[in-house]
Amino acid sequence: MSRHHPKNLTLAEFAAGTLDEGRSLVVASHFAMCSECREFVAALEEAGGQMLADAEPVAMTKGAAARALSLLDHVANTRRVRERKQSVMPVWQPEQKTLLGYELGPWRWVAPGLRHRVVKVPSEGGTRVFMLKALPGLKIPEHSHTGTELTCVLSGAFIHEGGRYAAGDCDDADHDDGHSPMIDGDEECVCLVAMQGELKLSGLIGRLMQPFVRI
Amino acid sequence: MQAVGQRYFAEGVTYSRWHFGAGLSQTMGMPTGTYDITCSADLARLIEAVAGERDREAFTALFDYFAPRIKAVLMHSNTPAAAAEELAQDAMLTVWRKAAQFDRTRAGASAWIFTIARNLRIDVARREQRGRVLDLESSEFLEPPPQPDQEFDTSEREQRVRVALTHLSDDQITVMRLSFFEGKAHGDIARELGLPLGTVKSRIRLAMNRLRDLLGDLT
Repeated sequence: MSRHHPKNLTLAEFAAGTLDEGRSLVVASHFAMCSECREFVAALEEAGGQMLADAEPVAMTKGAAARALSLLDHVANTRRVRERKQSVMPVWQPEQKTLLGYELGPWRWVAPGLRHRVVKVPSEGGTRVFMLKALPGLKIPEHSHTGTELTCVLSGAFIHEGGRYAAGDCDDADHDDGHSPMIDGDEECVCLVAMQGELKLSGLIGRLMQPFVRI
Repeated sequence: MQAVGQRYFAEGVTYSRWHFGAGLSQTMGMPTGTYDITCSADLARLIEAVAGERDREAFTALFDYFAPRIKAVLMHSNTPAAAAEELAQDAMLTVWRKAAQFDRTRAGASAWIFTIARNLRIDVARREQRGRVLDLESSEFLEPPPQPDQEFDTSEREQRVRVALTHLSDDQITVMRLSFFEGKAHGDIARELGLPLGTVKSRIRLAMNRLRDLLGDLT
């Protein structure tokens, strides 16, 4: 069970449909492993339903219902979704070429022990979405962001100032949260990240690495 | 503004007694009937009738109930009337198409239709960029691991949400309605309420945190 969750505001934006596609993908990956957040979103959708039922109606144009009825026979029907299996790690397996239906680019070298692959999200809206794969023991130099960074751990674990983040955990960081994550345990760590703005490395090693890091 | 927000929640949802339009059914050559919509279970039954028997009368009842409300909400979020009407039409056709997927043990009728309208709105916004909607009910998603201490029944959730909303302040209800329900940008809300952007952002954040606490406390 996840211990780190997206911020409530992020979840509310997901439920409202106002969260951009890239961050929605990260939140959706978290849901696959967190029934608590899914229940919160279901409660928000219930709130939306109550507000909808209580909205003051605005009349449709004359004959709108008749027009809809006349179209029904041309509408293809969708059958019930078959019973779904329960799983702890449904969204990503190492061999997968897609992530929840999104195409993945090839793994590319970023720095020793660190690889990066693009997740092809069409409507980015200033958000870059990518996966990171880091070897056990790797310490990523202290860095901060000019925008926000939303991360979901898909496998393995990392530790930073905010605690330990294992599979299913989400790190919903603001631009001012400088951090220096370190991979924990003896398994490589794979993360899904939606990042707005630029990554800024700090410290001498960071400044030396900056030209090589093209994330 | 606040009075309206208050009305949304304070007394819970009031289902107006609704009667099926006899004039329409005659022109469509269908038997006349009356559907009373007095509670959320009535709406669920209508969706199930559409799913099971392809019941056009039930569909018309749902249409007459929800389409004008979906249109209203979209017009509140600055969608022009004609586009709002078209999206409401699309939403109701989606209800017909997906009725078999409705499961009252997973979501209430209004919540289900809210998500359909929301997903259509996202779809329209992302279509130009070929983006997609992440639909948690799609087969790409598997069930999350069960959480034994948090087994919610739909009607229990409905009640829980209704009570939680009455505990939010007027200010919190207002920003929640504008940002969450109408999907307005924080900057637009700041202009509408005549408040600094920072105040709006923190108010929305506090409202959502409070709501989550309340939903947790009501266990």
